[in-house]
Amino acid sequence: MTAATRQGLERPAARAVGIVVLAGYALWLAATTPFSSPANILTALAIVAVVVMTIIRWPARPTRVMIPEEDRPRHPYLGWVVLLALVVAWELVMYLVRGSRSAHPTLSSMADAFDRYNYGLKAVACFAWLWLGTAIVRAGTQTTSRAAGREAVPS
Amino acid sequence: MSSTPSYAVWAVIGACAVALWVASLTTAGRRVIVRPVVVLRRLATDPWLRVLLVLGWAWIGWHLFAR
Repeated sequence: MTAATRQGLERPAARAVGIVVLAGYALWLAATTPFSSPANILTALAIVAVVVMTIIRWPARPTRVMIPEEDRPRHPYLGWVVLLALVVAWELVMYLVRGSRSAHPTLSSMADAFDRYNYGLKAVACFAWLWLGTAIVRAGTQTTSRAAGREAVPS
Repeated sequence: MSSTPSYAVWAVIGACAVALWVASLTTAGRRVIVRPVVVLRRLATDPWLRVLLVLGWAWIGWHLFAR
C-alpha cells in the first residue's frame, strides 16, 4: 500500500474520530453550569488546545492567501463585511437602548436563554464553537496544500 | 414595550446570513461573494488578523459557556 493510498484511507477515519471526540466534549461542556469551575476549566482547556495547535501548526511568517484574479468577484468580502456591520450595529442598539433586556434582546441574552433551558441546543452551540476552532487551525495551515490552491493562492 | 420588532430584526439578519451562505455555494453566487471558508482562510493567513481571529473565537466561547 502506497503512502498516498494509506493517507487517503486514514483521513476519513481520522476525521470521523475527530468529530466523535468533539461531539463528546461538546456534550460534556454543555452539561456544565456557567460561572462554575467545571465550565471554566473545560472552556479554558479547549481554548488552550486551539492556541497550542496554532503555535505548532501555523507558520511564523504566514503568506496571505489571495483569490486568483480569474475567480475573484469584484468585491469578494463585501457581503460578509456588511453582514458583520449589521450584527454589530444591531447588537449595540439593543445593548444601549433603554428598557428591559427581554424587550431588547442581545445575542448574549438570547444565547443565555437557550443555554439555560435547552441542553440539546447548548450542546449544538458547543459543538459549533469547537468545530470553528478546529476550522481556524486548519485554515491557517493549508496555505500550501491542494485544498487551499483550489480557491486561493498565496500572494 | 413589545420585543417583537427587536426579534424581527434579529430574524431578518439571520435570514440574510443564511441567504449569503447559500448564495456563496452556488456557481452564480460565487461570482459575487466568496464562501465562508475562503474568508476564514484569508483571515487565518494574515499576520495580524489571525491573532484577532483566535482571540475573538476564544472570547465567544468564554462568554457563552464559562464567564
